[in-house]
Amino acid sequence: MLIFKTFFKVLRKHLPVALIFIVAFVMISLNMVKSSNKEKVFEDVKLDVCVFDQDDTPESRKLCEYMSSRYNMVTIENDQNTITDALYYERADFIMTIEKGYAEAIAEENCDGLFTSYHMHPSYAEALVQQFLQEYVKTVRAGIAGGMDIGNAIDLAEETLSQQTEVSYAEYDENADSDFSKGLANYFNYMAYILISVIMSALCPVLLAMDKKDIRYRTSCSGIVSSSYLLQILTAAALFITGIWLVFSIVGIFLSGGMYHGKALLALLNSYVFSITSAAITVFITSFSPSANVVNLMTQVVGLGMSFLCGIFIEQSLLSGGVLAAGRFLPAFWYIRANDMLSGTTAYDSGKFMMCIAIELGFAAAFSLLSLVVRKIKLGQTAVKSSRLSVAENKG
Amino acid sequence: MFLHNLKYELLSSYRVKDLIIWLIIFPMILGTLFKAAFGNIYENISTFKTIPAAVVVEDGIDDTVFRQVMDSMTEGDEPFLKVTYTDKDSALEMLRKDDIKGIIVCGEKLSLTVSGTGSEQSALRSFADQYNNTQHIVMEALKNDPASAQKVIMSLQEDCSPVSSKPMTQGNTDNFIQYFYNLIAMVAIYGSVTGLHITVNNQANLSPLGARKCCSPTPKAIGLGASLIGSYIVQSGCMIICVSFLRFVLDIDFGDRLLLVYISAICGGILGVSLGFFIGSLNKFSFGMKTGLCMTISMISCYLSGLMVGDIKGDIASNTPWLNNINPASVISDCFYCLNIDSDYSRLKVKLLTMFALSAVFSVLGIIITRRKKYAYI
Repeated sequence: MLIFKTFFKVLRKHLPVALIFIVAFVMISLNMVKSSNKEKVFEDVKLDVCVFDQDDTPESRKLCEYMSSRYNMVTIENDQNTITDALYYERADFIMTIEKGYAEAIAEENCDGLFTSYHMHPSYAEALVQQFLQEYVKTVRAGIAGGMDIGNAIDLAEETLSQQTEVSYAEYDENADSDFSKGLANYFNYMAYILISVIMSALCPVLLAMDKKDIRYRTSCSGIVSSSYLLQILTAAALFITGIWLVFSIVGIFLSGGMYHGKALLALLNSYVFSITSAAITVFITSFSPSANVVNLMTQVVGLGMSFLCGIFIEQSLLSGGVLAAGRFLPAFWYIRANDMLSGTTAYDSGKFMMCIAIELGFAAAFSLLSLVVRKIKLGQTAVKSSRLSVAENKG
Repeated sequence: MFLHNLKYELLSSYRVKDLIIWLIIFPMILGTLFKAAFGNIYENISTFKTIPAAVVVEDGIDDTVFRQVMDSMTEGDEPFLKVTYTDKDSALEMLRKDDIKGIIVCGEKLSLTVSGTGSEQSALRSFADQYNNTQHIVMEALKNDPASAQKVIMSLQEDCSPVSSKPMTQGNTDNFIQYFYNLIAMVAIYGSVTGLHITVNNQANLSPLGARKCCSPTPKAIGLGASLIGSYIVQSGCMIICVSFLRFVLDIDFGDRLLLVYISAICGGILGVSLGFFIGSLNKFSFGMKTGLCMTISMISCYLSGLMVGDIKGDIASNTPWLNNINPASVISDCFYCLNIDSDYSRLKVKLLTMFALSAVFSVLGIIITRRKKYAYI
């Protein structure tokens, strides 16, 4: 067990770097899981809307009151720069002014230019609230046209607009989505970035240290059988990867507020398979014996590269066709695709899910084989160099 | 002597591998990844695309009016909907294969079946809401007062534009561009590592070069001044490369005031170097500790500025706005934001003055701590 022990002795020195990643990830995850509940697609969670009421009449106040039941009303200073910043940084989804004369105009069935909305760029939030305002005004106008007074027409609009279309989710699997909430899905998505970063930043230096020329030669001429050496290294690396994966899995339990069930267990399996693939990538990179600087750069490039190209940081549905086509050649793409199925972002299909897992394992196998090939070539080159040196020495 | 020191400071700086990797190559790679990831998002969000949907009409429902509405929704070059009329099972299969975004079920009222969430599904729901509401009003009018029902229908059909939209800027409104602003801010703040080397190379207890310099006859002010100016120049070079790469290779639109973008980036680089110089001059810590301190401060500063999570700056602005005004990375990225969004220079002036003030404070504090330092032994 000498090699096994040495592995962990070297690893201990590099653990602080891994710990920085872990702590940073957990901190960000707390914020992420909290903010991911802000689903703005359907009206289950409200859009952030700010209204400046310049009319200040009972009619305009009633509109504000009704809007506050539909949307989350936010208060923002009525100032050009503040409005611009709030829209740009999405502190508010929609900012509008109820113009002076709103009540009079609507009573006279004059519906144009009642509100001014401020926008930075077109957004669905803007379109949705504008559509609501249009419907509200049209309904009030229809009520007045039908002989109602303004008060009753406003009540009619509120009653009508409160009725929302029934939306049901198509269930293709018996496991309920509640097992794998949006927050937990985000956590597992980001876990791909952190797994590869932690595994590469901690495992690369250890493997490089164990693979240093002098140490390798010393180990080769010792009494340890090469198969035993390899087995001990593999066991230690597997233990380390499992440990890291367990840490994140346990943190996930705390963040989700309970044990994993149903689809969450499949997400666990997916993350473990991705850990194995990350380890295979690490082994492949170390087989080129890079310097410490190059290892750091590669960790960032591989981690961030996969995150941006495969949909970890940005949803796959928002990425361009070209980026997605490139992403297909990276394991994280399939990891995210499997998670998207579990979270309901795309339709779940057990066959497709297992195909994603198989592709990830395929990547792990491919990187392992490539590592063996690179190492074999390097060993061959070393042997050729050594034999040339010995021939030269004999001749000398 | 000053120029001699400056020349060798510049030559040695550009031979440091760390500097080339982290201040030139890494931002280029990160910028390219940002471009790949964020390049199309704004277009995807702001450009409308026809939504494919299936329609299932329940048995016994008179769908004449509904079909008329659907026909109007599917007309034109880029219609709102692309509709397939089918039965429920086929529609569910199409939804499973992601061929459609939702199923509109036409019964007594419209209902919707979706398999996921997204802007298309939201638009479908909005359409169904509108249809149901209009139907409800007409039915109520016919039930309560058939005489006025015609007026109600006419009123609903009449065009109405109650909202006039006011654009807040003429600049580039793509808010994903802030990641590129923060990338430039990151390069500027990473300049703290360059600044750190000034004190390391001038303090006898931190490096052999520092020891050599301390026992040379060159006045400390000249040596330190040359190192500081040299680092400012080197960092400015990195900033120019970074901005040029983003603007001319990745084609990032920084607005039409590019010269001011370069100037702001250079000022940011000077701020980063000054920060590193100040951290390096703190005598209590070892070189490793100082490097760790530099990197930690840089990363926290960039995180709070929105390099990792874009929305964070807005959250800070609403909760602790003073933090955005003193956080070096936020101040730097705000300069580019102001240049792009604002039509005047009032906010830019404040940001540039803040950068100058912070740079001056860090540099002066660094000089005060470093000056007249002598070593009896090392």
